[in-house]
Amino acid sequence: MIDYFLGIDIGSVGSKAAIIDGNKIIASVVVPSGTNYATTAASVKEEVLNKAGLQPQDIKSSAATGTGGRNAGADSYHGVIVCDARGVNMTFPSARTVIDIGGQGSQIITVDEAGKVTNFNASEICATGSARLLQLVARILQVSMEDIGPLSMKASKPSNFSTSCSVFLETEVITRIAQGDRPEDILAGIHRSIAEKVSAMSRGVNIQGDVAVIGGGALDTGLVRSIEEKLGVKALVPENPRLMAALGAALSARDQHTK
Amino acid sequence: MENATPALFFAGIDIGSTMSKAVIVDADGAMRAYVVGPTGAEHRLRANRVMEDALQKAVLALDDIAYIVSTGYGRVNVPFADKQITELTCHARGVASLFPNVKTAIDIGGQDAKVLKIRNGRLIDFLTNDKCAAGTGRFLEVAAETLGLDLNEMGHISLQTDMPVKINSLCTIFAQQEIISRLSEGTPLPDILAGVYIAITTRVVKLARQLKVEPPVVFTGGVAKNVGMVKAMETVLGMPVLVPQEPLITGALGAAILARDQAFQLIQKDEYRVRRDKKLGEAIIDFGEKSR
Repeated sequence: MIDYFLGIDIGSVGSKAAIIDGNKIIASVVVPSGTNYATTAASVKEEVLNKAGLQPQDIKSSAATGTGGRNAGADSYHGVIVCDARGVNMTFPSARTVIDIGGQGSQIITVDEAGKVTNFNASEICATGSARLLQLVARILQVSMEDIGPLSMKASKPSNFSTSCSVFLETEVITRIAQGDRPEDILAGIHRSIAEKVSAMSRGVNIQGDVAVIGGGALDTGLVRSIEEKLGVKALVPENPRLMAALGAALSARDQHTK
Repeated sequence: MENATPALFFAGIDIGSTMSKAVIVDADGAMRAYVVGPTGAEHRLRANRVMEDALQKAVLALDDIAYIVSTGYGRVNVPFADKQITELTCHARGVASLFPNVKTAIDIGGQDAKVLKIRNGRLIDFLTNDKCAAGTGRFLEVAAETLGLDLNEMGHISLQTDMPVKINSLCTIFAQQEIISRLSEGTPLPDILAGVYIAITTRVVKLARQLKVEPPVVFTGGVAKNVGMVKAMETVLGMPVLVPQEPLITGALGAAILARDQAFQLIQKDEYRVRRDKKLGEAIIDFGEKSR
C-alpha cells in the first residue's frame, strides 16, 4: 500500500496542486485562481486526483499554502516561503537561494541543505516586482505571455524607463512606442526594471550557492536572463516553476503524517 | 538705467505633471489673477497659454510684469521666466502666505505627494513620493476610470457613507482589481469610494508621520479639491485640515510672491533693469550682471 500526499497552493493568480508518493510527483495541475478560493481548491483537488487516478481516501494527508490556502480545506496550512524552500530543495538539492516571482509580488529566500529557510525577504504587494507587470505590458504590445521571453531575447538596445511604478511604466511604455522603440527593446527594458526590483529586495539577504528562479515569472526566459545579469548568477529553473510551493506543501503533508 | 521704473506686478508659473497654473500678484503680494489648465505634452505652449490667460484676466500686458518665477516639474520649459525655483520652496511660501501659522503642509498632486514642515513661513523639512502611484492623484484617476465616474462626483458620493470598505492593496494595479471584486460582491459604491480615499490618505499620512504631523495642517494640490479626500484626510490624521479656496495654485502663488521678493531685492540694490520683448515666449530680461 503506497502512501500519497497532496499539496495545494492557492495563489493570487494561479492555483496549483501536486500529489507525491514518497519523493516523486505523480500528478500535478495548474489552473486560474478565480474569485472563490474554496471552490477553486475543491476543483483543483478533484482534477489532480483524476489525473493521478486516485480517490480522495487514497490521500494520507494534505497541506495547503498561498494567498487563499487557508480556505482550501486541507489538513494543514503552511506559509508559502517554507513551501517554496521545500519544493525547490527537492527539485534542486544544490540550490541555496530561491527567487520567487509571483502574481502579486516576489520573495527571495535562502535555504540550507535540508531545505530549511535560513533567511528571506518579501516585497510588499507591488505589481513591478511581480509577473503582473509583464501581463500589463504584454497587453499594450499585443504580445502573448509565452512570446515575451523569446521576443525580448532579440533586443538590441533595451528601453530605459525612468520610473519603477507599474502605473507610471504603462504610460512610459506608450511614450516609448510613440518614440519608435521596438517591442523587443521595450520588453527587455521592462525585464530590467523587474530585475532591479528583485535586486533591491536581495539586499540584506546573502545570495549564495546555486540560485533557483521560480513562480510564474520564471516562465519568462527573458526575465530570468535579466535577473541572472543583474545579480551575476546562473539560474536554475524547474520544468514547472509555478508548482514549487504546491510540491513543498505536499512534502510538509508527508512529514506531518510520518511525524 | 533708462527703464528703471518697474511695473509692479509679478508672476509665478507652475508647470505640474498634470496641471499648469499661473498667478499674478501686485506689489503687496495680493493675488490679481490666476489660471489653471491641463499641462498636456507641449510644456512650452502651455506655459505661454497660462501666462497669456492670466495677463488677460488681470488686464495687464507682459511688459507690466516685472519678474517671473517658474516652478514645478516642467519649470525648465518656461522660456520667459527670469528664474526657476523648486516647487518645495514655492509651495511653502504660497501656503504660508495664505496660512501664516501653518506647521505642516500636505500636497497631493497628479503624480506625486509631498509633505512639508514649515516654521515661520520657511521650509524646514520635507519628504516626497514620486516613485509609486499609490498615494497620488493617479490612484484616484485609475479608480475613477475603473468605476466610470467623474472625479468630482466620486467625492460627493463617498460622503454618503461612514463605513468605508478596507482596500488592502497598497499597489494601484492590485487595488483596481480589489475595487472590481468589491463591486461584484455587491459592496455599495459609497463604501468603496470612501475606502479608496482612506487607502490613498493612509499612504500619504504614513509619509507625513515620518516628519511628525503638527497642526495647523494645510492640505493642497489638485487632490485636495475632492471633498471625499478632505474628509478622509481628517479621519486618518485625526485632526482638522485647512484647505485653500483654490488648492491647486499654492505653488504658483508662492512662485509669484518669490518673484516679487526677487525683484524688490534687485531694486534695492539698484540692479533692476528690464528690457522685455513684446512677443511672449521670447521675452528678454536684463538684470545688471546677468543678461540673456
